[in-house]
Amino acid sequence: MLQCIFLLSDSGEVMLEKQLTGHRVDRSICAWYWDHAISQGDQLQPVIASPTHYLFQIVREGITFLACSQVEMPPLMGIEFLCRVADVLADYLGGLNEDVIKDNFVIVYELLDEMIDNGFPLTTEPNILREMIAAPNIVSKMLSVVTGNSSNVNETLPAATALCVPWRTTDPKYANNEVYVDLVEEMDAVINRDGTLVKCEIYGEVQVNSHLSGLPDLTLSFANPSILDDVRFHPCVRYRPWESHQILSFVPPDGQFRLMSYRVKKLKSIPLYLKPQLTSDAGTCRLSLLVGMRNDPGKTVDSIVVQFQLPPCISTADLSSNCGTVNILSNKTCSWSIGRIPKDKSPSLSGTLVLESGLQRLHVFPTFQLGFRIMGIALSGLQIDKLDLKNLPHRPYKGFRALTRAGHYEVRA
Amino acid sequence: MAPPAQSQRSPSPSQPSGKGEVSDLKSQLRQLAGSRAPGVDDSKRDLFKKVISYMTVGIDVSSVFGEMVMCSSTSDIVLKKMCYLYVGNYAKVNPDLALLTINFLQRDCKDEDPMIRGLALRSLCSLRVANLVEYLVGPLGSGLKDSNSYVRTVAVIGVLKLYHISAATCIDADFPAMLKHLMLKDPDTQVIANCLAALQEIWTLEASNSEEASREREALISKPLIYFFLNRIKEFSEWAQSLLLELVAKYVPTDSNEIFDIMNLLEDRLQHANGAVVLATIKVFLQLTLSMTDVHQQVYERIKAPLLTLVSSGSPEQSYAVLSHLHLLVMRAPILFSSDYKHFYCQYNEPFYVKKLKLEMLTAVANESNTYEIVTELCEYAANVDIPIARESIRAVGKIALQQYDVNAIVDRLLQFLEMEKDYVTAETLVLVKDLLRKYPQWSQDCIAVVGNISSNNVQEPKAKAALIWMLGEYSQDMDDAPYILESLIENWEDEHSSEVRLHLLTAVMKCFFKRPPETQKALGDALAAGLADFHQDVHDRALFYYRLLQYNASVAERVVNPPKQAVSVFADTQNSEIKDRIFDEFNSLSVVYQKPSYMFTDKEHRGPFEFADELSNLSIGADAVDTVVPAQQVDANDKDLLLSTSEKEDGRALSSNGSAYSAPLYDAPASVPTSQIQSDLVNLTSGLPGHVPAASLAIDDLLGLGLSVTPAPAPSPPPLSLNPKAVLDPGTFQQKWRQLPISLTQEFSVSPQGIVALITPQALLRHMQGHSIHCIASGGQSPNFKFFFFGQKAEESSNFLVECIINTSSAKAQVKIKADDQSMSQTFSTLFQSALSKFGVQ
Repeated sequence: MLQCIFLLSDSGEVMLEKQLTGHRVDRSICAWYWDHAISQGDQLQPVIASPTHYLFQIVREGITFLACSQVEMPPLMGIEFLCRVADVLADYLGGLNEDVIKDNFVIVYELLDEMIDNGFPLTTEPNILREMIAAPNIVSKMLSVVTGNSSNVNETLPAATALCVPWRTTDPKYANNEVYVDLVEEMDAVINRDGTLVKCEIYGEVQVNSHLSGLPDLTLSFANPSILDDVRFHPCVRYRPWESHQILSFVPPDGQFRLMSYRVKKLKSIPLYLKPQLTSDAGTCRLSLLVGMRNDPGKTVDSIVVQFQLPPCISTADLSSNCGTVNILSNKTCSWSIGRIPKDKSPSLSGTLVLESGLQRLHVFPTFQLGFRIMGIALSGLQIDKLDLKNLPHRPYKGFRALTRAGHYEVRA
Repeated sequence: MAPPAQSQRSPSPSQPSGKGEVSDLKSQLRQLAGSRAPGVDDSKRDLFKKVISYMTVGIDVSSVFGEMVMCSSTSDIVLKKMCYLYVGNYAKVNPDLALLTINFLQRDCKDEDPMIRGLALRSLCSLRVANLVEYLVGPLGSGLKDSNSYVRTVAVIGVLKLYHISAATCIDADFPAMLKHLMLKDPDTQVIANCLAALQEIWTLEASNSEEASREREALISKPLIYFFLNRIKEFSEWAQSLLLELVAKYVPTDSNEIFDIMNLLEDRLQHANGAVVLATIKVFLQLTLSMTDVHQQVYERIKAPLLTLVSSGSPEQSYAVLSHLHLLVMRAPILFSSDYKHFYCQYNEPFYVKKLKLEMLTAVANESNTYEIVTELCEYAANVDIPIARESIRAVGKIALQQYDVNAIVDRLLQFLEMEKDYVTAETLVLVKDLLRKYPQWSQDCIAVVGNISSNNVQEPKAKAALIWMLGEYSQDMDDAPYILESLIENWEDEHSSEVRLHLLTAVMKCFFKRPPETQKALGDALAAGLADFHQDVHDRALFYYRLLQYNASVAERVVNPPKQAVSVFADTQNSEIKDRIFDEFNSLSVVYQKPSYMFTDKEHRGPFEFADELSNLSIGADAVDTVVPAQQVDANDKDLLLSTSEKEDGRALSSNGSAYSAPLYDAPASVPTSQIQSDLVNLTSGLPGHVPAASLAIDDLLGLGLSVTPAPAPSPPPLSLNPKAVLDPGTFQQKWRQLPISLTQEFSVSPQGIVALITPQALLRHMQGHSIHCIASGGQSPNFKFFFFGQKAEESSNFLVECIINTSSAKAQVKIKADDQSMSQTFSTLFQSALSKFGVQ
């Protein structure tokens, strides 16, 4: 039972206020929140109790989504709803920032109006919303110029609300029927300074982009579903076929959506290694980093970046590398972008850190975060077996891709 | 949007006043209002946008209300929406002008386009002006029967909005029954879900007034209805599913077969993409199996994976909400999660609050098999750049050590921390080593050797310094330097700002003295002298106490200061298990995030949703409002204070126990006033806010009451008993006490006729009594008999008074049974209770 939603800019200004019930929430709550947020810094929790209300907040691209309630409610419901609001807005407005919200606040109001009524979330399904309120994209702007009809509200109500597949637009028609299935994986790993793997896990998603006419019925199967530890499905997935044969059977929503997310734990091999070496003596510290391939995945690894926070007790740092660029930002974050590993040499970074006066040796050590991207492979080993389509007039085009990138991939020193 | 208060508030310099712009807009709108020229909609739209954007920024644009309404006759749906938005925002402030909008909204409710019908109906219900409710009934009635489901969804919520504006109108129009019919028959699931939400709220609020409503509320969790929902749950939207699952969690199945049926049916909900649905399902599972230990355990196993996935997917905010719940489960059954400890390892760039929860879980799941790895991991954090987490991890290591697993290795680790020479690591470690030694005295040799090497100059934090000093005193026989270190600390007595450290220093030097008298004698003398001269009361008192003790008998002093100690076996848990159970019962609610049961942070009174919301939301908070609202309240409060103190001054002398203040001349009054009366006044004056003090408000009431013709019998003057206005007692304890304690008083009071009238809603009485610091724990009954259970708590001590009060409205009598922890006070309490009750409804 949310009572009010506020959108705040990154300077704490109220950009938008949507009262949901008859009990209006005074704006001063935002000022309270902002002071609280500043005093807490990065220790600010998503669910806070103010003197008069419980507050839920999420921050996206510098914009704070703040919701207020005075009664008990499931906290995740509040948070999850705000996340959906942020997603839908970003999707509608083509990104989130202060200007785009201020320029389109009428649309934001319209959207919120359909997403929640009297504090109860109604629908957050982008496909349904799109049928009720058109997005302010270039096409609709063009249309409005040509036809002279500048309303961005669709004339008809979504019939899908009455169907049993609420996520699907009733009857889309495409000249080219196509469907793309992407496996997108993120690898989380923690590696100790001696190279031992403390923890390695993959969080993956099956993203589908479907442009299919009519009411198609799809089945997607994997070659090795047994490696999946836990799965979560889009509401369109039928549960029984998965239960009995690990087959994903579904009527897809139109456009881009997340069909399934999964987790694979206890992985043993990691693609890259990073060897840090820190030796400190007499007020200075020598740092050297080596990066290289550990288990070649068979595809190119690119966008390799190493990031780390210099300990606060370091006064100056002089670092150089044999390939890529090294940047030290004002907040003492050091970022070394390597890109691809060259064939002829292995990337290394070295240099000296000067400690603050009075300190002899370094006692706190940075954690190195490694970023990378591998196109064309899912490192968990998950493989799509086949995708069958039924109820389609024409043979559609099917496309498959895979991608793995680093999530929390960190090496300790 | 501009809150009403804003119009009176002088605009802050950073905000444009917008006055000129608003009047500009006003004239432009007026020009467009009658125009039918082509393209007029576009210019209207620009103007509307401006109005709304001013409203959004917080500029008061209520002055263009009339013009906006005039411009509202349009077929353009965006214009309509903006207009609805504007009207909804300002109607409450301009009830007269709102009447103007009714006409066009009602017309739109009959539009061909269902979208417009729906929007108009929603706006109509959002006006929330009490004297316009009559115009709502018609459109709502036809909205509920509309052929389009969108309109019906809106209408259902509209009924709820109507109920909040005027409950009587809503009930008279028989809307709840229509909703019930829709809930069972409508083909659209969103309509059904909205009906359920609306009915739950309406019947919960009505339940205290009518037997039928409370029956209906019970019927919502009856078997046929629950099964009706469960069988269709997959057709509902994800949010509606969360709502249904909340309902199912309240349902009590008759046998275990039913439990398994429900769980089988809901199992796939654990795989839902929406975290709110997953958590609601988990709650159902946990609630259903509470009494079946084996199954309950299997449920834990089953929900583990979905919870862990939820934590690792999604945004940090979502992770946190899930992690709080996981934390609760881990704390409840650590053994079941002991093999998953790696999931609780902290990632470097996680926010502090997430890391903190994870550290607590790591501590909880540690057992023989995984302690080594967990402690190794924690040691990694101790050396990390993130200082707050480094501290937390050292504490976690200590807690694990106190759990008795693999102490040997841990002590080594702790001693390694001391060698790291980082001031905060040393500080945290010292505190831990102290606790460890209290539990495992056998480690003293190893620890003392390392602790002895720490220079006390490097320890600055009071807690750590106190710990070091404690060890110096306790183990002075094993540490060669102990007396000399203590001596140097005492020399710097003046520079020691923490009283805790000075207290420990006194005790330590005493202990040291009994073990090594010749070396410590001088230090002890200095310490006692410095302590006696100390401005801190505790330090001074302790020094004096030691001094006299030594004067009296040194061997007695030794027995007092240095008795043989037993190792502490268990350190007290900060949260008792009853509270933990309470939080567990409130799974999937805010309680879990705050780690407190809801009665600790929400009002105890069983208020329906929003009952006080208006009062609360009128209370402004924050810097923005401080300059206007808060000073006003302060002035108000001061006025009361002034008023009170003058009346009290007079009363102090004049008010005699029979209340005939004016019969006696003022100057000879002091002689007739019982001392207890003065005392009670004094006590009352010093304790708490004037509004909460029975005596004070009574005094005012009396003064006012004398001027009125309808005066009830003068209430007996308040006895010397002040109650704790924020008393807390949970129902379980109340029940237990009620069973144990004997009845100490049974009395019959009469209730004023006004009170009987006001008793139409029992909540009024509860609120009234709460104003007198008497809290209600349960209430029930219907006309003419109402039954209440109240409790009061003495201020300053936890002595409780329990009351059963049966009020018969036809005879205007109240039967009161009082039970008390302290029997001697029950008569006084009874008088107080009576005086509070007698003023109910008399204003």
